[in-house]
Amino acid sequence: MEIRELTTSDLTAVMAIEPELFGDDAWTENSMTSEIAGQFTHYFGVFEDELVGYGGISSIPNSFASDIQTIGITQSRQGQGLGRMLAEALLAKAKSLGSEAVFLDVRADNSGAIALYKKLGFVQIDVRKNYYRPAGVDALVMKLEIYQPIVLGVESTCDETGIGIVKGNRLLANALHSSMDEHAKFGGVVPEVAARAHLEAMQPTIQRALQEAGLSMSQVDAIAVANGPGLAGALMVGIGAAKALAIANDKPIYAVNHLVGHVGADVLESGSVTLPTIALLVSGGHTSLLLVRDLLDDVELLGETIDDAAGEAFDKVARVLGLPYPGGPEIDKLAATGDPKAIRFPRGLSLPKDMVKHRFDFSFSGLKTAVARHVEKAEDHGLPLSKPDVAASFREAAVDVLITKAINACERYQVRRLLLGGGVVANARLRQVAKERCDAAGIELRIPRFSLCTDNGAMIASLGAQLVMAGRAPSSLGFGAESTLEVTKVQSL
Amino acid sequence: MLLAIDTSAGTTVAVFDGDMMKSFISYEDRFGHAENIGFAITRALDEAGIVASDLTMVAVGRGPAPYTGLRVGIAAGVSLATALNIPAVGVITLLAVAKKHPSGKVLIVADAKRKELFVASFSDGEVIMPPSVSTMEQISKLSDFQQVDGSCDAGLVGKYAIWAGASGMNLTDTSALYLRSPDVSPSKGKRVTG
Repeated sequence: MEIRELTTSDLTAVMAIEPELFGDDAWTENSMTSEIAGQFTHYFGVFEDELVGYGGISSIPNSFASDIQTIGITQSRQGQGLGRMLAEALLAKAKSLGSEAVFLDVRADNSGAIALYKKLGFVQIDVRKNYYRPAGVDALVMKLEIYQPIVLGVESTCDETGIGIVKGNRLLANALHSSMDEHAKFGGVVPEVAARAHLEAMQPTIQRALQEAGLSMSQVDAIAVANGPGLAGALMVGIGAAKALAIANDKPIYAVNHLVGHVGADVLESGSVTLPTIALLVSGGHTSLLLVRDLLDDVELLGETIDDAAGEAFDKVARVLGLPYPGGPEIDKLAATGDPKAIRFPRGLSLPKDMVKHRFDFSFSGLKTAVARHVEKAEDHGLPLSKPDVAASFREAAVDVLITKAINACERYQVRRLLLGGGVVANARLRQVAKERCDAAGIELRIPRFSLCTDNGAMIASLGAQLVMAGRAPSSLGFGAESTLEVTKVQSL
Repeated sequence: MLLAIDTSAGTTVAVFDGDMMKSFISYEDRFGHAENIGFAITRALDEAGIVASDLTMVAVGRGPAPYTGLRVGIAAGVSLATALNIPAVGVITLLAVAKKHPSGKVLIVADAKRKELFVASFSDGEVIMPPSVSTMEQISKLSDFQQVDGSCDAGLVGKYAIWAGASGMNLTDTSALYLRSPDVSPSKGKRVTG
């Protein structure tokens, strides 16, 4: 006996037993096709060599609820507990999708099914008179409440101390302390300064998050912490804190990947993450292009920067132009009045020869040097220099190469979805170009709100919650900081 | 019940019931603080036969000591206290070590890396020179002081916290005792062309 999720390739088998299962109420092949193929529906079949029953749920993102659409077992296999197993598979799916309640309609004269649903914990909440035609049988509306785990997430990979709290797919709190100002005079994040700031900020940020969520620590079901990639000294502060939080109330702990957390942030925005998706993560520390087929099991690194991160390039160019740190917002401001086509700056790793080894990799070091050369040359020779033009042209080059490669990845892997994450998403031009090109290519563009795009604790809590909801085992208490943690390792055990 | 944590060298955790040390756990690895801190706490609780919710106070060693490891213990101790809603206190490790030497003139010396030392001097238990950074050459001039190894552990931190608490001292500062600024200076910005 096997229970698995159905695809449209199972349609013939489903239609073969549909009339027997549902008689008058049987669906047509057309409606069954759209049910099985639907983006928000999930059908499971029971197989004993051949299909002997099936059922499905519908779960609209952000509704935090699922509806059981149908469930049936062939006559000859009834009374063997298959219906219960199928129902349990549907409920497990509903739970993993973040549903806090499951609803269903059942014929009032189907006492066997009603008994099963009651055993599973469903309670009757309503009656629909004469619902099933032509017999005129009433429908009972039943509801099952599902408890979704409350997870507290700790983020300390770089210069943001983040504590987030989620309940299943629902965002409850996202408290943040940034040490960005302390790094400003150095022109970039200083690891020791960041680590010191994390230690100072940890306790107040934990307290702020609990207050925001209206919870006490004992109500939290699990702890999640980003254990990499990031700055070792900074990561270690978060790990020390997170382990103690878990021990205090004897709760499980999940060590999760910071970069995959950025993808998990979208769960909080839209109630679920629609997969597969290409994800472009751009910040001061990372420039990575991912193919996410499954948030917990199948994240592939398509490419990343081979030198500077994109955000770092903005910071360095800002310095060349005499602008303060962080450079992104300053360059955005200056570029607003500049001509993006004034200077043709190089697009790193975009030549035909680069397509073999570095098709989806990035390089911003050459771009930064080209900008510096341009500025130095003008200054040395007393030539006129339009800083707005330099800023606009630099920004155009950086954005162009980021979005071009992201769209190319969507095309290459036949994925019609692009998710943006990381602090550089604050860049207005990046969002604008992404929107234009995704629209033109028929690609769905997803950009979580900015507080979920930058480093934050809520995305770590969210990824931890996905692991809890999927029934994954927690990490052992012995994990450490992994500065260069690879993106394929979603959880460190 | 007091839980003491010190990560000034390896990772050590101790549980005290009154002034009785009920358990003491030590991991010597000086680079494994993040890995070991969870095991050290749970083992110390287990060996003392208690659970975390039995604790009434947490004491952490504030150093001075190599900061990367030191912060792990402080972060854990402060977070544990926050989660349990109990007070956390901070102990300067050189002062905790000095408690072992209540008489005579002693100079407590701990490695500060980069050919420097963390030192503090005491006379009959009274602080003469508070914790500071020094060099071998500088301390060689203090020949009338007996030099004492400044290695600390959670046992000493816990004992000091209990003594200080009984003496009515205020130890609410749990921050790391930084005696050096972050080793960094603002970059001047280099030219890329000759």
